[in-house]
Amino acid sequence: MKKIILVTLAIFPLATVFAQQAPPAASSSPAPTVSNAMPATAADVDALRQQVQSLTDTVKALQQQVKDQQAALEKANLAGESGLPQNPEPSPIAGAESAAPSGSAPPQFPTEDTSVVSSTTAPAVSGTPALGGFPTTDTSVVTSGPETISSTGAGASLTQPITIGGGKNYMNISLDGLFALAYSSARDLDNIEVGDHDPQQRGFNARNIELAFDGAVDPYFEGFANIVFKLDNDNETEVEVEEAFMQTTSLPFNLQLKAGQFFAAFGRLNPTHPHTWDFADTPLVNGLFLGPDGLRGVGAQGSWTLPLPWYSQLIFASQNGRGSTGFSFRNPGDDGMFFDRITTDREARGLQDFVWIPRFENSFNLSDTQTVLAGVSGAFGSNETGADSRTQIYGADLLYKWKSSHAEGGFPFVKWQTEFMYRRFQAGHGADDSFPVAETFHDWGLYSQVLWGFKKGWVAGIRGDYVHMQDSEFTDDLDRQSRWRISANLTWYPTEFSKIRLQYNQDFLERNFFLSAREVESVFLQWEFILGSHGAHKF
Amino acid sequence: MKNYFRSQVVAGIADPGNRHHRCRLQLLAAALALLPLVASAKLNVVATLPDFGALAREIGGDKINLVVLAKPTEDPHFVDARPSFVVSLRNADVLIDGGAELELGWLPPLLQNARNPKIEIGKPGRAQASQGIRLMNVPTNVTRAAGDVHALGNPHFTVDPIIAKAIAQHIAQSFSALDPANAAFYDANYKKFEAAINAKLQEWGATMLPVKGQHVVAYHDSWPYFAHRFGLNIDIFLEPKPGIPPSPSHLTEVIAQMRAQHIKAIIVEPFHDRRIAEKVASATGAKVVEFSQFPGGLPGTDSYVKLIDALVSRLAAALK
Repeated sequence: MKKIILVTLAIFPLATVFAQQAPPAASSSPAPTVSNAMPATAADVDALRQQVQSLTDTVKALQQQVKDQQAALEKANLAGESGLPQNPEPSPIAGAESAAPSGSAPPQFPTEDTSVVSSTTAPAVSGTPALGGFPTTDTSVVTSGPETISSTGAGASLTQPITIGGGKNYMNISLDGLFALAYSSARDLDNIEVGDHDPQQRGFNARNIELAFDGAVDPYFEGFANIVFKLDNDNETEVEVEEAFMQTTSLPFNLQLKAGQFFAAFGRLNPTHPHTWDFADTPLVNGLFLGPDGLRGVGAQGSWTLPLPWYSQLIFASQNGRGSTGFSFRNPGDDGMFFDRITTDREARGLQDFVWIPRFENSFNLSDTQTVLAGVSGAFGSNETGADSRTQIYGADLLYKWKSSHAEGGFPFVKWQTEFMYRRFQAGHGADDSFPVAETFHDWGLYSQVLWGFKKGWVAGIRGDYVHMQDSEFTDDLDRQSRWRISANLTWYPTEFSKIRLQYNQDFLERNFFLSAREVESVFLQWEFILGSHGAHKF
Repeated sequence: MKNYFRSQVVAGIADPGNRHHRCRLQLLAAALALLPLVASAKLNVVATLPDFGALAREIGGDKINLVVLAKPTEDPHFVDARPSFVVSLRNADVLIDGGAELELGWLPPLLQNARNPKIEIGKPGRAQASQGIRLMNVPTNVTRAAGDVHALGNPHFTVDPIIAKAIAQHIAQSFSALDPANAAFYDANYKKFEAAINAKLQEWGATMLPVKGQHVVAYHDSWPYFAHRFGLNIDIFLEPKPGIPPSPSHLTEVIAQMRAQHIKAIIVEPFHDRRIAEKVASATGAKVVEFSQFPGGLPGTDSYVKLIDALVSRLAAALK
């Protein structure tokens, strides 16, 4: 760019010279054609010759000048090719070199460059004028003084835009599409897969098309929303406000409050969105205890990171726990039935009818490359199967991750994640004592998975699932069948914005009082794309 | 301090039958209460990347507690947001980050969790290195079809010593604003660093002069600032697009280009697949040169000057 400017500058006087010389040349050239009428004298010809000669000399001199300048530029070999942003002032390096002959010092390497560093930093630098050589400043790379940032006080964030793709915006927006092609030996895949965003039928599935928004609300709050569209097995679109909440950013004492519709911070997997999962489907224990859509609801949450030398956080939330997203709690169930009881579906009578969700998590670094995160969670509330029937779920989770100290793109890594849950469910007499028996179910389950990112973009995974449902001679609900599952998968992430995954599941459903044993094989081909500015994911 | 705290914990719980138990618990409570006070004796500085960390060390010396989040040998685009980083950020008086979206994949959730108003953008406790730097290769059109493109421009700028000086000055200003008692110390350290770089630039410039104008192949487009400073052309990459792994067809093209232009060196960083570079090198007779953007990424480069020393001498030797 600079070269072009300089060459233009060099050519400009040349053109001017031609323009000035042109009129006499033009008037002389017609001369031969009119020679009969006005024969030129020998003196005229000589004068013309001299004129032409001097013009030629001028042109030669100018050509030489242009050549010299080009050579000087080549020597300096600056921004021309390197694609520096356009910069009107002449290259400081070229300047240093052209200045050098007049000075006594030989041409040296510049130590300033105003094309990269602003002039405001220069005064501090000017204390060392001795260097006539390599520039030590460069305004082409440093544009403005660092002190300019301090002028934007906290109040400026009121109008501070969020950057998307180099532009300025007030929020990040993204669209995530998650699809699966499924085959299963079972004709009722929707009964085998326990998650609402899992493949639900043989053939193509579009269970999670998600719009995500996030950004700073003002200096005090951040806002998040996840709106999910899913296509049911008849291709009808269902809309789900999966999450929509605000949270504080500037409370003292490491406190944070959150309010709105959000996923409960129960265990590792529940608070995350399906597209971040390492498998194509929900672990059995999550789907059967916390619910097909996970435990989430309208509520409020406070969290506190303890002032300890390691990461330690206490989280406490309360949600309505009503409906299918409060699955084991105030859930009226499909067609008003849950675990065979006619449900009560009533308004909250008091605090005991809300779901209370505490969590305590701690993390340690075993080494520079190994991290452990362990947590315990609980969810306590009432359920709709009787007048005073209650549910308690306890969880423990462990994450171990190793990542190479020479990781490229986050690979290679090994990640081991396990969650264990125990549920105590008091199944009552149903609405108006319509069910003859009250039972207390002690159910438990766990999953454990290992992911190995063996090569940039490639992850192999294996997962084991088990759920023990207490057998009952009174309740024949399909969800009350003890079962286990083995899954293996291979995922290719072309970039962090797309993935293709092949997964194989083998399910074993155990015989109980009402249901016979079953064995099911399933294969899923899952694919995903992300458009836009999707928020970075937590550890 | 950490050990002191641990010993208190152990003392408090190891012998519950002890009649001094309650007294020890009080001690523990006192220790907990004192934690922030003890911590505030020195500036707590967190640098996202090791290059900013090295500059902070030049300026802060023993007057700061420094934590560097990313390792010098790992890919700075993908660093795990480890929970321990939340603790470091929560306790930070100063956060030095690039400000050019290099840490976009991992810093935002950490900051969200850290809940530390002192290091918000706009506060003196937040030094963004790219502030005042004119970034190169700002895309006019941002599309992910072009690979991992940084919308604000190429964020690998610290390897230009002139830019490093500006960042160091920026850091010195930030430290001085938060710790005025030691402002003279920080300023003197900056002056020292600046003088060292100015002197070293003569040396580096002289070493690179004979190889000026040469073309060099790099694995990833991390080197436009280095190339600009020393008059090199580092514009052919083993990655077909930033962040996209090398494909056989692209490598064939690179090999043809390298042969045509007689390119003598391929630079790779510690986290790149060296075998791919070796293959291309053996097909073209070029040398593989190990490079790093970060002090500590190459053996014997624990300071910024030592890093550039190593880069300059390695490349000059390979291009001879």
